[in-house]
Amino acid sequence: MIGNLVVGGLAAGCLYAMVGIAIAIVLNITDIANFAQGEMAMITTFFAYWLLEDIGLAWWQAVSIAAVFGLMQGIIVQQVVIRPLIGSPVLSAIIATLGLNIVLNSLAGLIWGHQTYTFPSPFTFSAPFHVAGVAIPVASIVNIAVALAIIAGMTLLLRFTWMGLGLRAASQNQTVARLMGVSITKSSAIAWGLGGLVGGIAGMLVAPAVFLDTNLMGTLLIKAFAGGVLGGLNSLIGVFLGCLAFGVAENLAGAYLSPSFADAITFLVIIAVLIVRPEGIFGRVKVRKA
Amino acid sequence: MVATDIVRPPERWVSRNLTAALAAVGLLLACAAPLVLNGYALYLLTLAEIFALVALGLNFLTGYAGQISLCHAAFFGVGAYATALLTTKAGLPYLVSLPLSALLTTAIGAVVAVPALRLKSLYLAIATLGFGVVLQKIIFEWRDLTGGGGGLALGAPTVAGHELGATGLHFLTLAFVVVGLWGAYNMSRGRTGRALLLIKESEIAAASLGIDIARYKVTAFAVSAFYAAIAGGLYAYLVRYINPESFNVGLSIGFLSMVVIGGLGTIGGSIVGAAFYVIVPELLRGIKDAPGLVFGLLLVIVMVFMPRGLWGVLRQLLNQLPGKR
Repeated sequence: MIGNLVVGGLAAGCLYAMVGIAIAIVLNITDIANFAQGEMAMITTFFAYWLLEDIGLAWWQAVSIAAVFGLMQGIIVQQVVIRPLIGSPVLSAIIATLGLNIVLNSLAGLIWGHQTYTFPSPFTFSAPFHVAGVAIPVASIVNIAVALAIIAGMTLLLRFTWMGLGLRAASQNQTVARLMGVSITKSSAIAWGLGGLVGGIAGMLVAPAVFLDTNLMGTLLIKAFAGGVLGGLNSLIGVFLGCLAFGVAENLAGAYLSPSFADAITFLVIIAVLIVRPEGIFGRVKVRKA
Repeated sequence: MVATDIVRPPERWVSRNLTAALAAVGLLLACAAPLVLNGYALYLLTLAEIFALVALGLNFLTGYAGQISLCHAAFFGVGAYATALLTTKAGLPYLVSLPLSALLTTAIGAVVAVPALRLKSLYLAIATLGFGVVLQKIIFEWRDLTGGGGGLALGAPTVAGHELGATGLHFLTLAFVVVGLWGAYNMSRGRTGRALLLIKESEIAAASLGIDIARYKVTAFAVSAFYAAIAGGLYAYLVRYINPESFNVGLSIGFLSMVVIGGLGTIGGSIVGAAFYVIVPELLRGIKDAPGLVFGLLLVIVMVFMPRGLWGVLRQLLNQLPGKR
């Protein structure tokens, strides 16, 4: 019983983690919490669906092209909406992403209507693994593996490339980074592109688990934020583990404490953790001189 | 931000008088409105005034103290439910239950402020969001008292034995807005407002000047919860049907948007932002298929071209008027 609950929680948690990682990438480099991340991912997923169903591409082709679409989408959004707001109060940029969230949602509604679609996945019919009598769906394992691969890739990129060095510099002190020849607009564009890419991949992996419709990401986004805060937003692995923990806590609270108070209990746990560790469990205090 | 942003130069005589004139014109228009507006338009006006009250309080917290809150919809809801229950079940007069429930919500706001003493930005946003979810859930599950998900239907409020119609409620709301404006104006220019501005800029600097950071943050949370609760009590009797579902995160984000659209840290901005948020979607309702699309676009455009909000632009225009010294 408890094994099934934990696995179910992990399966949900890794969906949150995928979205959470996309948010954390943009947030760490540009300081902007992107409320449109979910809807951007939703658009990318719908684009992949269109490639699959109407153009008739194979799954791998559609997903790869859509991932590039996600990257471009992130860069375009940055150029049009975020770039003019560099140097403005961060809250203004956040509210702009909120507006973008509404725009993308209604746009998708206009194009694809409000019915639900089933997004195919090559893993739907694979037999689940059995570990100690607990069935573990293949899709969850793939999701966790992809999330870990993204984290590893991002960490390598940020630690060992010149671009990553520039991104980290821009996230610490924009003025000094600029003096050292790092272009702030460029690093912000790269961050948004990466966010769009990761978000798009997340959307395409999330969609088979739930139904594909314009509200695909509505609840996921908030839970991804919550899980990320629990783990510590400035550590990607923290976001990942925080989201998994959130999924498990939610499931366990629902089963053992009270189904109707599951959300509330989970949030109370987060608040309690934050009182003790204000930067999240794995977060480091970001030293910043204004 | 630099020091000159904190220590504002004395406002120009013209601009200050113009702002006062603008406020007077607005007040006159709001007083005259029931003569010309029909039922639905009057409802919208009252709604905008109610939201303006919430935005005034939230702006005090977010614009001045720099603290983000995503639980103001829950404060709003607690105010609405407490007022409704004190009036219908405890039989108190409306004008007594309104401030009583506001005091109750103020106490809750002060409790929410405690984790806020250690948290910043998104961490604070998620913690307050959590409190919002908890409060909403309590209202939802306390079925005996609140009616749970079925909601609570209310009759017309009575003041001193007279039933308060749409016009009466509008004037009552307007009176609260005027008092709220006066309070916000005084607080923001007084010791509290200056302390909060400094806390927003640098807590270290504030602490080294002997400002009790904890006390002022709790005050800011409590005051803004008070505003939200009064607005909630008015809202309950405006719509006459309340449901825990309506006091969700979306509404909290809406309140935050009002403050930012209007202009962070400006009192006029709260009014303008609330009006924008209520009126613009109504104007767009005629557009087929895409009211959301246009509203979202407007939100983005306002932020991209006026990152300091509508009020900032308005004030700039006023300052450029001919005759300025």
